[in-house]
Amino acid sequence: MIQKEAEKIFETRELNVNMGPQHPATHGVLRLVLDIDGETIVKVTPYVGYLHRGIEKLGESLSYFQALPLTDRMDYVSAMSNNIGYVVAVEKLFGIEAPERAKFIRTIVGEMSRISNHLLWLATHALDIGAMTVFLYCFREREWLLDLFEMICGARLTVTYPRVGGVRNDVPQEFLESLWKFTDEFPSRILEYETLIDQNRIWLQRTVDIGVISAEEAINMGMTGPTLRGSGVPYDIRKHMPYDAYDKVDFDVPIGTKGDTYDRYRCRMLELRQSNNIIRQLIEKLPPGPVMVDDPKFTLPPKDKMMPITHPTKEIAYFILEKACKGCGMCMRACPAKAITGEKKAAHKINQALCVNCANCLVTCKFKSVTVVSGGKGLSDEKLAELAVAPDQLPEDIKQAQQLLVKQFEFIKKGPKAPEGDLYVATEVPKGELGFYFVSDGSGKPFRMRLRAPSFIHAGCLPRLCVGHLVADVIAAIGTIDIVLGECDR
Amino acid sequence: MEHSVTVREITKQIIKRFTFIEILQGMALTLRKMFSRAVTIQYPKERRHIAPGFRGQHALAKNQAGRAKCVGCGLCAAICPSQCIHITRAKGQVDKYEVDILRCIYCGFCVEACPYGAVVLTENYEYSDYKKENIYMKKDKLLSNWDKYMPGKKGEEYFDKFWRPLSEDFGTPPGQSVFKGKKE
Ligand code: SF4
Ligand code: SF4
Ligand code: SF4
Ligand code: SF4
Repeated sequence: MIQKEAEKIFETRELNVNMGPQHPATHGVLRLVLDIDGETIVKVTPYVGYLHRGIEKLGESLSYFQALPLTDRMDYVSAMSNNIGYVVAVEKLFGIEAPERAKFIRTIVGEMSRISNHLLWLATHALDIGAMTVFLYCFREREWLLDLFEMICGARLTVTYPRVGGVRNDVPQEFLESLWKFTDEFPSRILEYETLIDQNRIWLQRTVDIGVISAEEAINMGMTGPTLRGSGVPYDIRKHMPYDAYDKVDFDVPIGTKGDTYDRYRCRMLELRQSNNIIRQLIEKLPPGPVMVDDPKFTLPPKDKMMPITHPTKEIAYFILEKACKGCGMCMRACPAKAITGEKKAAHKINQALCVNCANCLVTCKFKSVTVVSGGKGLSDEKLAELAVAPDQLPEDIKQAQQLLVKQFEFIKKGPKAPEGDLYVATEVPKGELGFYFVSDGSGKPFRMRLRAPSFIHAGCLPRLCVGHLVADVIAAIGTIDIVLGECDR
Repeated sequence: MEHSVTVREITKQIIKRFTFIEILQGMALTLRKMFSRAVTIQYPKERRHIAPGFRGQHALAKNQAGRAKCVGCGLCAAICPSQCIHITRAKGQVDKYEVDILRCIYCGFCVEACPYGAVVLTENYEYSDYKKENIYMKKDKLLSNWDKYMPGKKGEEYFDKFWRPLSEDFGTPPGQSVFKGKKE
């Protein structure tokens, strides 16, 4: 009787604790609701979406060219790999192939991105668990890589460096030399990190046999990347479906045995060495050649060829040939300065005082009635009429410049058109398998863009990794799956 | 034989456990680092070296005569993924050219889109202010940025290197960077 009363009063219940979204160890804005019994985790419920920006939806309103910077903002820790994943997917969709040199450069920077990602992962994972010093050592090397990114593209994190059909610009010689020096020194730096934690008894106690997941279960949950390989599954897209230059290099895929936090840590440490090796091989083999595919449909035209019209010393004037003009009014509508006037079906006229020389009329007119007059700026209409010749009779370089200018305008205003259909392309980013799924209706923008973000799927594995362990081990579990919420929430 | 190995292993384990050898090794490493040069810098007293072509605040390029190169064709505004460039024209001139810097994501697409080489990104990344209006870039501010950050030859070099693609990107230019062998 008394006992029953006591049970009623001292009833035991699980405690409900919120961890995040503002928590330094959740690597962003992840919110976990923990049900705990004393110190032991009974249930974990992850809540995601605090960093949702609608990248998939945004992609539908931007052309294939414009949507590239969005991918920088997914996994901002390894933006380069995301960029590469995107351009590889779009290239497949367009059915084009980047030139050899561009592929090599992309693979080099992709592996640099993998190293810098793993360094940041190691730094924060170790910091979460309590090893402060590793954090600073990792950032020392990461800084070097970020400086190299800045050298080639002018940005350190949100690089936007690869382009559909190649890369934005070639790499300079100093880049290769500095990177070679980095690969020379990096193995000894890895040894430094390992001296600090690899055998450290606190590190071992916090990681060995924590968050164990078997190979079968890991596959069932959709894990990819080093998180899966820690459980002993040698699945790596770079090896199984090579893209860019991965089929030209020799590398191993390190795997773990037990599938605990320590194995996943070992896997990533070995991957650092493999990436270092891949970069060295690629630098040695880097072939000379173009860095952009020569397919004018899918790339911006070369700027120097447009110079005969666009160079400021040319003093171009635009002029409508009275005889050729059909009076369709297209140019009038296209002119942003409202400099063109004319009645329907009658010859139109450019008011030279209002014209800003923007070339919109030139690229709009379908009837070849707009022409350019070199050195004609500021002349009177009569004089221009005297000097003007039909577009076909212009000098060769100006004709070419005009065609390229038309291309430039079309490319930017409408975007390169993709063939109809849908496709899924996956690449191996440092965190796992990043997939892009496009549904194209044949226009310049994707009808639907869907992203398979590894962080999202890994966040879903957290309950499985945490239950049964202590609260402190949740931190280790979040660290070991290496998530970034920018990518998870998209 | 096997037996002695296990005994040796166990002794090793015991020695490890009681001598704290791995922790001492780690501490020796950090102690050594105390005497090496610091890798951190004291910002803002010291500053990083900014690589040429850095994607910072915009500038509008001027031609030899000191006038703005921009003709107001609107391509930069059309390509901008965050739609933060606003242009109006009047009397044969670009009347307004405004960049809403706070929305800009520094992708550099405006530079790539411009056929006239009229807009650049400069190395200025320190422009925080108490007022929003001061950060909203108007045409005169953008033009003065050109004088400030791209004086003399620097502007030309910028276009040579970072105004891409040029026709050499579609071919094999001489002097392309390749691996030159290990430097001894
Ligand atoms: S678009 Fe060409 S044909 Fe039509 S009104 Fe203008 S100049 Fe004449
Ligand atoms: S060049 Fe531009 S501003 Fe001049 S008439 Fe043509 S569209 Fe109008
Ligand atoms: S850098 Fe990008 S976001 Fe900024 S103004 Fe230029 S195109 Fe727009
Ligand atoms: S900056 Fe270039 S692209 Fe933009 S409006 Fe001026 S000329 Fe056109």
